[in-house]
Amino acid sequence: MKGILFTFRSITTAQRGEELLKSRGIDAVLRRTPRKLGEQGCGYCLTVEEPAGRKAAALMRQYDIPFRRSFRVLGEDTVEVRL
Amino acid sequence: MIYLDWGATSFQKPPQVAEAMMQALASCASVGRGGYAQANKAAEVVYDCRKRAGELFGADTEQVVFTSNCTHGLNIALRTLLKPGDRVAVSGFEHNAVMRPIYAIGARPVICGRKLFCWEDTLADFENALRRGVRAAVFTHVSNVFGYRLPVEKLAAMCRRYGVPFVVDAAQSAGTLPIDFRRWGADFVAMPGHKGLLGPQGTGILLCRNGGIPLLFGGTGSRSMEKTMPESLPERLEAGTMNVTGIAGLNAGLRYLQETGIAAVEEREKRLLKIAEKGLSGKGFRCFFGAHQSGLFSFVPGMGCEEMAQRLAERDIAVRAGLHCAPLAHESAGTLHTGTVRVSFGALTREEEVWKALQEFTKISSD
Repeated sequence: MKGILFTFRSITTAQRGEELLKSRGIDAVLRRTPRKLGEQGCGYCLTVEEPAGRKAAALMRQYDIPFRRSFRVLGEDTVEVRL
Repeated sequence: MIYLDWGATSFQKPPQVAEAMMQALASCASVGRGGYAQANKAAEVVYDCRKRAGELFGADTEQVVFTSNCTHGLNIALRTLLKPGDRVAVSGFEHNAVMRPIYAIGARPVICGRKLFCWEDTLADFENALRRGVRAAVFTHVSNVFGYRLPVEKLAAMCRRYGVPFVVDAAQSAGTLPIDFRRWGADFVAMPGHKGLLGPQGTGILLCRNGGIPLLFGGTGSRSMEKTMPESLPERLEAGTMNVTGIAGLNAGLRYLQETGIAAVEEREKRLLKIAEKGLSGKGFRCFFGAHQSGLFSFVPGMGCEEMAQRLAERDIAVRAGLHCAPLAHESAGTLHTGTVRVSFGALTREEEVWKALQEFTKISSD
């Protein structure tokens, strides 16, 4: 996996994010949050390609779709980033 | 057969409901558990239904909680708002799905409005109760016995004015009358998926303004290490595996209503009610028709109501007789000892069916 990953409190919120980003031409993929990134256990995340990361974050804030945290993912390595 | 028991359930459904359910059975696993194609498909189906319900009823997507029926939703709502000893304003026409939880909680119902089809009486009584002080108000949109359509918009405005949280029981109105959750400002609106919304039994929707106290505690597929249910909706009130097949069917029902238009369903049922009123006039039955009525009516036949219903069943005409799980409504209308025969219409009821049924009511009575 490679790109920017956003974690969410609930699958429903993640789905709203997915719908919004896709409607704006950003290819967002809904998947299970990798175990090491999940707070308090299981969850769902959205991944987008790195160039779209900032725009994705801004759009979700604009439309009140709260994501918990954001990470840059490069293979097995992840780094938390503020977008 | 002639099916006139839509108040119990929508036995007749558009074919796309069953088709959607068969498709879901073949392609959907469980929501919020796995990350594979069939789990994702289940998540898409559920999300689509949630979003569609939000659009139809004026709610945000996350405010749409799936339940197993309207009673389930009402229990969540009432247990959230009420504690033992609380006074709660209710109409004189509430179903046991409202009254039994209130009694079980140990709250004290204040009955408001006992006159059928009389908005002035209902509004005056509610105002009186709210002025004296109640913890919450609960009222049905449409009486399941008499079809009395309560002045929900005015009651909602009154509750907002007095700062009283309120619950609307939309069991008989969802799919038949407009529901605007945002405009009403209700704390909860509960509805079954299997009546006017044309979905299968085992489905329901609870619209929630600001969360609620869970009735069930269990897995939600998220934040598993937390010992409590999630704070946020809808997962907070949806413990356990979801009825994905049922929700797929419900989604098809909602799509049908969006395409048909709820206003068209309302108009159709108004016409059928007029036909029934005209057809039963002067036939010797004690009938209950009034100015504010929607989708169903009751009558007291010359014989016992169960006997009338049985004879109709033998002629392949389906109605419901008795107290309709609403003794309070019958008490208010003075039919507690006789019960009534209830005739309830739905989105697919045809005029010729109503005419034929009216003829049979008269034939049986004169036999």
